[in-house]
Amino acid sequence: MTTFRRSLGIRHLVCGSCNGCEQEMNALSNPMHDITRYGWDIVASPRHADIVTVTGPITTAMRAAAHETIDATPQPRIVVAIGDCAAGDGIWKDAESSGEGAVAELGARVVVRGCPPAPEAIVAGLEEASKLLG
Amino acid sequence: MIRSEVPGSIEEFHAAVVHECESSVILGAYASQRSAHYLFADASRGIYELSHALGEDRCLRAVSGAVAALSWDEREMAQERGIRFESLPDARPLRDRFGVMPQAVVAHGEGLMHFVVGPVHAGIIEPGRFTISSGGETVVHLDAQLGYAHRGVELDLEGEDAREASRKIARICGACTVARSYAYALAVEELAGIEVDVETDLVRLILAELERIGNHLSDLAASASGGGWNPGLTRGLGLKERMMRLCDRAAGHRLLFDSIVPGGVRVRDLQMATELRALEQEVFAYLDALFGNASLVSRWHRAGVLSHAVARAGGAVGPAHRASRGKVDLRTVLPYGAYRVLAPKTARAHAGDAFSRCTVKRDEIVESFRLIGDALRALGRTAIPQPVAIPQISGRTVAAVEGPRGAEIVAVHADACGRLERVHVISASYRNWPLVARAMDGNIVPDFPLVNKSFNLCYACADR
Repeated sequence: MTTFRRSLGIRHLVCGSCNGCEQEMNALSNPMHDITRYGWDIVASPRHADIVTVTGPITTAMRAAAHETIDATPQPRIVVAIGDCAAGDGIWKDAESSGEGAVAELGARVVVRGCPPAPEAIVAGLEEASKLLG
Repeated sequence: MIRSEVPGSIEEFHAAVVHECESSVILGAYASQRSAHYLFADASRGIYELSHALGEDRCLRAVSGAVAALSWDEREMAQERGIRFESLPDARPLRDRFGVMPQAVVAHGEGLMHFVVGPVHAGIIEPGRFTISSGGETVVHLDAQLGYAHRGVELDLEGEDAREASRKIARICGACTVARSYAYALAVEELAGIEVDVETDLVRLILAELERIGNHLSDLAASASGGGWNPGLTRGLGLKERMMRLCDRAAGHRLLFDSIVPGGVRVRDLQMATELRALEQEVFAYLDALFGNASLVSRWHRAGVLSHAVARAGGAVGPAHRASRGKVDLRTVLPYGAYRVLAPKTARAHAGDAFSRCTVKRDEIVESFRLIGDALRALGRTAIPQPVAIPQISGRTVAAVEGPRGAEIVAVHADACGRLERVHVISASYRNWPLVARAMDGNIVPDFPLVNKSFNLCYACADR
């Protein structure tokens, strides 16, 4: 049995994902998955966030905005890479305007694999991040 | 199948393109190594193009001065493929390449103010930057600058074996993956000179319509949210989840990635008729609840009007086009696969507002359920079809499929060894994005989320 230690504010940051991961992130709020029952919520501002979930390979055009968003998130914070692209070895990793993913570029400490990962896997990743926050 | 016409001089070419833009459906324009291709479609001619061989100087006279619909296409041709346009009205690069967006277009005047939202948004939304010029609450001009999701997929695809590129094609955009995979499969099969069997066509129809229902449900749920009715969002997302689970069982993927491949389909379980009927009843009850909610519907009325004239001149496609009195649905205008036998009734509306777009999507959901039911009955208890091997291909063609947001087009050029020389993707979102901006003119700023969600376009397949 899991003991949930704290509520989480989650800010989602899209960095060139195909939006498959976004559909699964959206599924977290549907009545079947409903992450608010864990005390978790998707928040509108990085200022309110404990966790930044990142999708996509980090495109050239998003790089600066991604760093600004992470920098605007107060410590302690955990960056979570959602999906294979953000993990750094997605299908577009060799494309001209794709970056290295959220682990290499944004210091993600938790990685949720999948193309896209199922909501259950994302929940497990968020739980891992919550433990890292202490 | 693509019919190619090559008018002589550059003047003749320019005049011919402008003429076709006025009389046919505009699919888009792109440049290959040696030529510029302007693509059109109509019921009698199918997909056809006017092409112009590019000289050493890669000079071409821009069409988008006369035809605003092709503005993005020509800006992209200039930026990505080095076409040197004569008299290009908007000569800014289409998208940022090095982390600096081109200057936004703003309106100037007494009392006007400008503000910028994005590229990072408050919800779970793809990145885009919107610069709004407003006088008080009224939007005078909106400049949508996209490109933040640009990965460079077309260049990345070059050199791949055309038969093995479908995994990448499916991942250009997660929302219209089935439609794009379908168009790519049609293109490759045409170049290979093969036709898939009737059962495969039926399964493809089922997959395409499942994707349409899922997308339209998301759009309607988002439009309920945009209109301030949260229960409409929650209930819609719940139904979308049910659809995703059904897709997962049918094809092993909640979003149906890789379910259509050149040569066939990859599905594992189509025993869904009973569950689908139950789901259909719940979806219909949901649609009744949405459209029976007077305060929600009154928010949808007159919000984000895209007039027939603007939609026509701007080259709108899909539900956005049909909600503004448009008649074109590629499933009936250029029928492919099982749509040659199972034709949908075209859903249309007249006002061009958010309500009209929601109405068209509602009616298309109803029709999609009917088509899937018909296809499942036609399939009966036949075994699930297996993909056939594709011989090496070469040559070029263009295929178009009616996706949830409209025409999803893939142009494929393969060299003599079967490798992709050039792939160009024109998505319905790419066609419609400039029109979202036009639909906002004269609306109040707080209605932007509602108007935007009534289109609910993707960024990934527009940015590529």
